[in-house]
Amino acid sequence: MGRYVIRRLLQAVLTIFLALFLLHYLTSLSIQINGNPAYAFFGGQITPTQEQLRVVAERYHTDHPCLKRVGDPCLSNFMDTLGRYANGDFGQDLRFRPVSDQVVMRVPNTLRVFAINIATWAIAGIGLGMLAAVRREKFSDYLIRAGTIISGAVPTFLFVLALKYLAGVWIGGWLRDHLGDDNVLSIIFRPSWDEAHPWLTVILPGIALAVIGTAGITRLMRTSMLENIRSDHVRTAKAKGLTGGRVLLAHTLRNSLIPVVTLIGLSLGGALGGAVITEGLWNIRGVGQFVFNAVRQNDTPIVVGVVSLVVICYLLFSLLIDLLYAVLDPRIRYE
Amino acid sequence: MSDTQTIEATPPTAPVKAGPEKVRGLWSDAFHDLRKRPQVLVCSAVILLLILIAAFPSLFTGKDPRDCQLERFFGAPSADAWFGYDQYGCDYFAMTIYGARPSIVVGLLATATTFILGAVIGSIAGYFGGWVDAVISRTIDVFNSIPFVLGAILILAIWRSAGDTVWPLILALTVFGWTGGARILRGSFIEARGLDYVKAAKSLGASDSRVMFRHIFPNAMAPIVSLVPLAIGAYIEAEASLSFLGLGLKPPAVTWGSMISNNVPEVLAGHPRLLIIPALFLLSATISFALLGDAVRDALDPKLK
Repeated sequence: MGRYVIRRLLQAVLTIFLALFLLHYLTSLSIQINGNPAYAFFGGQITPTQEQLRVVAERYHTDHPCLKRVGDPCLSNFMDTLGRYANGDFGQDLRFRPVSDQVVMRVPNTLRVFAINIATWAIAGIGLGMLAAVRREKFSDYLIRAGTIISGAVPTFLFVLALKYLAGVWIGGWLRDHLGDDNVLSIIFRPSWDEAHPWLTVILPGIALAVIGTAGITRLMRTSMLENIRSDHVRTAKAKGLTGGRVLLAHTLRNSLIPVVTLIGLSLGGALGGAVITEGLWNIRGVGQFVFNAVRQNDTPIVVGVVSLVVICYLLFSLLIDLLYAVLDPRIRYE
Repeated sequence: MSDTQTIEATPPTAPVKAGPEKVRGLWSDAFHDLRKRPQVLVCSAVILLLILIAAFPSLFTGKDPRDCQLERFFGAPSADAWFGYDQYGCDYFAMTIYGARPSIVVGLLATATTFILGAVIGSIAGYFGGWVDAVISRTIDVFNSIPFVLGAILILAIWRSAGDTVWPLILALTVFGWTGGARILRGSFIEARGLDYVKAAKSLGASDSRVMFRHIFPNAMAPIVSLVPLAIGAYIEAEASLSFLGLGLKPPAVTWGSMISNNVPEVLAGHPRLLIIPALFLLSATISFALLGDAVRDALDPKLK
């Protein structure tokens, strides 16, 4: 156990290091091939003077000579970047505001979106998967299967847009007319996020973000349940004369959840990308919207800084999950 | 000698050519299975139509999507312009037809590049094992640690100046997409490495590359081939999302994703069709590939049956 924890920690440090290097190399390569990014700062209309270019290049650390040699990994530059990251400096946006401050301010809202997202995965994914397994080869099984294939093929942005206009504008408009503006339902069905009701107005976008992941979780839950229903310990439980409900919940469901919980952890990475679109379209002041706006405004330093920060957090989070696994499930043994 | 030859000649799941005997191999069995399903026929028809549209848009419309006349702005659908005109007075049917090409091209090319790259790297890792495998597996971990869409956003945001081609998109999708195929083939190659037919081929003096690509690969490719339609659908989805964010092809080019993105404000201005039409075309593509992919995966992976 102790050795496993140490090994996993070292591995996490190495992975973070290499992932940051990969991001650094991609950025350097693009500067080496495409030329000085300082021009982007001034937009297409203005021709900056040499002095202005020099100041911007210094600010964004793009004045290093290795950025002119195509293919050079720019290791010394990378070490500088790592040093700045270690001090919490993830760069500045084009208005010289530190990226890290903005991210810290925005994290609570992103966590809200993910709370709803994970709750949807747990309730809808596990519930539907269980239903499909219990009603195997019957109508509801086929319906759930077709539903997961089709909903998994709908891009997140279309789902968010559909929900925004159908639920937020259309149904929400009717609710606001009939129940008044301050009714809980009227608030839930608002077409965009509202700072005054940070939880209620995040429910719909959270569900929209969860749709793609729900499809995979439902399918895995179904397979996992089917495997367990046929297993010896469930047959024993039935033979002992336990009630159907107890066999299903205590003996089948609990065992089926292990791979599903792993998949929920893995799906979070994919949801991070979806959060950019969801938060952007629903005006949620979260980290995703920060990236969304930065992309729209050509503010590349933010994109690089935030993606690096998010990757570090994501890797630390997977490390935590892995360590929790080792504590919670004694059957997991590592060589 | 004769023993090894018979083993080599009939590996367990080799593609058996339709011969006089009625024993079907994995591929022809899968094909027979698929041919009977209505879902497969409908989806294949939709996909073929979309590919035809993408390849020869001028067969379907005589109009030029860039021929925009401001005096026809928001013109209603008519016999002359089936989908009406957008806010700049461009023929919306022509735009939708020409918008198919980037989606389909990116879907097909990104699938080809990720699967070829993934297959080569994964088979090298699985076949040689040892430190080669360790290095490649760690590399896969590193690439997987960066969420796919965020990675693609980063690449496209910094390569933005590259201009009006599909290559930056394909590069972004390939850099972060190859790991899936690599992991699958690595697994298949590790399984196959110890089997008798591989030992037989080696003892006959076959070179590593011959064993890998002539002997193991045909037997190990079913799991990865079964994922091809699903991958095409997923890359079309990714392309649309990235175009929607403004990271896809640049303005003179028309894509479904950018058509949807540009017309979001028009929904409440009373022109929802400008958003719904490209969305329906996009959905017909992604859903067809997903349904076909599901059937193909079932047919090629007997374990799931």
